[in-house]
Amino acid sequence: MNAPLPPPLLAALTVLHVAITLLMPFLMIGLVNRSKAWWGGRKGPPLAQSLWDLLRLLRKRPVLSQVTTPLFRAGAWVVLGASLLAAQIAPLLGPFAPLQFAHDFVVFAYTLGLARLFLMLSAMDVGSSFEGMGTAREASFTAFVEPALFLLVGTALVGTGQTSLAGLIGQWHHSPAFVWLAAPAVGVLFVLLQAEAARVPVDDPATHLELTMVHEVMVLDHSGPELAAMQYAAAIKMTVYAGLIAALLNPFDLATQPAPAVLAALAIMAAVAVAVGCVESLTARLRMRHVPPYLALASLVAALGLGLAGWLAGAA
Amino acid sequence: MNTLLAAQWTLLVGAAACLLPMRNAWRAALGLLSQAGATLLVLSVALPVVLGGPPLQGELAWAEPVGLLKVRLDALGAFFLVWSLPMTLLGSVYAVGYLRRHFATERHVGVHYALLNMTALSFVIVYSADHALVFLLGWEIAALAAWLLVIWDYANQKVRFAGFNYLVSTHVGLIFLVAAFMILYTHSASWELGSFGKWLRAHPGTERNLVFLLLLTSFGLKSAFFPFHSWLPRAHAAAPAHVSALMSGVIHKAGLYALVRFVMLIGRPDEWMGWFLIGFSLLSAVIGALYTVGQRDLKRLLGYSSTENVGIAGLGLGVGCLGLAWGNSSLVVVGFAGGLLHVLNHAFFKCQLFYAAGSVYQAAHTVDMERLGGLSRLMPWTAASFLLGGVAISALPPLNGFTSEFVIYSGLFNGQAIGAWAQVALAVAAAGLAFVGAVSALSITRAFGVVFLGSPRDVSIEAPHEVSRWMLAPTLAHAAGVVVLGVAPVLGLTLVEGAARLALAGLPGADAAAAGAPLQALGETLSRIGALSGVLTAAIALMWWQRSRSGTAPAPRHVTWGCGYGTPNSRMQYTGSSFAWDFGRRFHGVLLMLRRQKAPEGYFPSDGYLITHCPDAVERRLFAVIQHGDESAAGLSRQLREDDPRVAFGAALVALVLIAGLVVLGTGALR
Repeated sequence: MNAPLPPPLLAALTVLHVAITLLMPFLMIGLVNRSKAWWGGRKGPPLAQSLWDLLRLLRKRPVLSQVTTPLFRAGAWVVLGASLLAAQIAPLLGPFAPLQFAHDFVVFAYTLGLARLFLMLSAMDVGSSFEGMGTAREASFTAFVEPALFLLVGTALVGTGQTSLAGLIGQWHHSPAFVWLAAPAVGVLFVLLQAEAARVPVDDPATHLELTMVHEVMVLDHSGPELAAMQYAAAIKMTVYAGLIAALLNPFDLATQPAPAVLAALAIMAAVAVAVGCVESLTARLRMRHVPPYLALASLVAALGLGLAGWLAGAA
Repeated sequence: MNTLLAAQWTLLVGAAACLLPMRNAWRAALGLLSQAGATLLVLSVALPVVLGGPPLQGELAWAEPVGLLKVRLDALGAFFLVWSLPMTLLGSVYAVGYLRRHFATERHVGVHYALLNMTALSFVIVYSADHALVFLLGWEIAALAAWLLVIWDYANQKVRFAGFNYLVSTHVGLIFLVAAFMILYTHSASWELGSFGKWLRAHPGTERNLVFLLLLTSFGLKSAFFPFHSWLPRAHAAAPAHVSALMSGVIHKAGLYALVRFVMLIGRPDEWMGWFLIGFSLLSAVIGALYTVGQRDLKRLLGYSSTENVGIAGLGLGVGCLGLAWGNSSLVVVGFAGGLLHVLNHAFFKCQLFYAAGSVYQAAHTVDMERLGGLSRLMPWTAASFLLGGVAISALPPLNGFTSEFVIYSGLFNGQAIGAWAQVALAVAAAGLAFVGAVSALSITRAFGVVFLGSPRDVSIEAPHEVSRWMLAPTLAHAAGVVVLGVAPVLGLTLVEGAARLALAGLPGADAAAAGAPLQALGETLSRIGALSGVLTAAIALMWWQRSRSGTAPAPRHVTWGCGYGTPNSRMQYTGSSFAWDFGRRFHGVLLMLRRQKAPEGYFPSDGYLITHCPDAVERRLFAVIQHGDESAAGLSRQLREDDPRVAFGAALVALVLIAGLVVLGTGALR
């Protein structure tokens, strides 16, 4: 549909994409915290506060639990490495990603799955019942939300006929049925963001009670550089899903108007971060037993979207 | 042909020779030697066929009514042979370590080795037979050998029951298979599979559909598809670890082989067959995965995951069938190659996981998750290989399970389905596969986390130690395969390429050139995935190495944060049952998670207990139905008094009327 990007632009966009996946997570966290502070009538921390926190953690010497194995420390780096790889497959700026090939969305989903598996195993390694509880919750929430992404991809496939994630998400707006499907798609992606990045109403990153945590309880015994890696990975995941929403809604064509397209993408991602902050300020975390239905609802909406897409394609 | 015969004789003679020596060590050695010799012989003829050589054909005159015994080893059979025999050999090596403590006793280990030889023999027969009776013979040898291998510990009543359960199920499957063969024989008047194929291709219709369903039932029972899996968890839990590994990873793949073989004989299946296979497989995958969540017994868990994985492979084969029905060569290639690749990959990681579980059993004398814990510090090699197998079975990169699931996904999202609704249905199947992936990650986290991480839960289990090299070597050989096929999946593709070409022959006007393009595309995709896996592995290793190098001083150690509670003990760790509870109870319609408990009461509670159990719903229902039928039959016989002449006369009258009716209908006298 679109002409291939000229090589200089391709190189520039690749550099830009990598830079965004590395730096945008800090800004995203900063924006979420700022908007939460705004609702709470506070001034809030500086936007780059999480970057300074990360650098501080990297300098610290970790304290390990007595029962841990080498898997505990290695796990954190698997989580970070896999999240960074997945971020290079996701389109953020439009129909473009540095790693782009047929059916790359499977690699995207399963690389994030690898990250999650090692996050859960690191948590199980300390032999604490609290971390076991968090792990069990994470694992079961994932199972409810995992089909949503694939149903969404299937919906986009019916509309676009593309097979790479960048093409599916970035070129979906050319399809005539997109008008009907845009809102459910954004909704599903937003719920996926909340589940993957452990935000309210699925999980509360600011809670103080171990019994009510999911992601935070799994990194309870991490400290120093490993904690930094885990937190950075979670922020990268949030950026990636915000980026998917940005690529989906980007009104500019990346090939002909690169600068406005990039700016629009960044603006949409920032808006998603603010939206996450607003949701966190205005609602509480769902009760644990209501979280799986909430996530399954996302999968259901995605399935209905798929049915609608099939119906529209059949009618056309 | 002669080489194959020589291999069969080597195995037979080896099996007999195992029984003769006086010492168990000699018996085992003879078994291993004869099996290794036969494996080399078979590989020498099967490898060239797999790598694109001409199929091996031969015939042997035999007395009527059997007739000419035809042998034909094409790329599909050779693909199954090249890994089945070496893996059986590895299993036999593992058996040396596993049965070591029986070597010095009165127990005759030679019988066990003879049976392992017979298992290998059954593969050579089944995968090269072109004659239905020979096929049935090999099928039966495999079933009986597997049954006898399962009941190694026959003194235990539970083991005998599990074995008997398996024996009955596998013969119920045989009935369906024989029924299908009878229908085919009456139409083709020949026992050759080739003439079965001729009839099947020429006569689409009700009878062909019936044959397809009969065959699918039989092969479903063999490969333990849901709902024909109820024998499986018991058999896998009861058998010695290497037998469970061989059954799950190798022996029951014969069911999938036969399925592919008959689909190829049909040539161009109807579209509904593809959809039926996809639905049936998806159901197996989802239910199998759900059942892994509830299990406490590590080997039962792995058994259910076999049901899950044959489902995943069947999903690929179903896509291939749809490709054949639609005449789409790229779907055919992706579907069959993906399904067969998953069969191979599953054999690698499932045997590895069973071997690791067997090592746990050897060291700790139990595989009950709730009693184990913290084994990874005591058994590092076993733990590492279980983890590796676990990552592979959850289909996560960079290991081999991911590559085959990727190919299957690429078939489901091919974008070339006929009509938007077909595409929607395939996307729903893909979403189901994603759910299965997430659930199996849950079970593996639970199994590995509870058994190998944390600290030991039961002090009555004396500290386990790493197992012998006889057991570690096969485990690590499988682990190497899992890694190599993950980083270089093109190797796996070269093995299944010939079989995919064979499937393409069902399409009209298909030739070698038509197969080239989709196969090449698949090869490119797979090498890209392999490269990506390599990069991911390297990046993680680099980061970890950088971190562990920079921190020279060992990190200080402290107790795990117990949220302020000062005296936690190892029994307070999260258990497998609690891990599964939250997820499992949301599927209470499918998954029976039973618990009996006595909660502590009052201010000074005396005692309390909690017993959790996850029985098989299908098995329960089966036994309930049998019991119900038994009761109604007993009730009927109570009401009918046998000395009552009226009953006897009445029965005779009914029989006469029936016979007369059949005669009238059969001779067409009414027309």
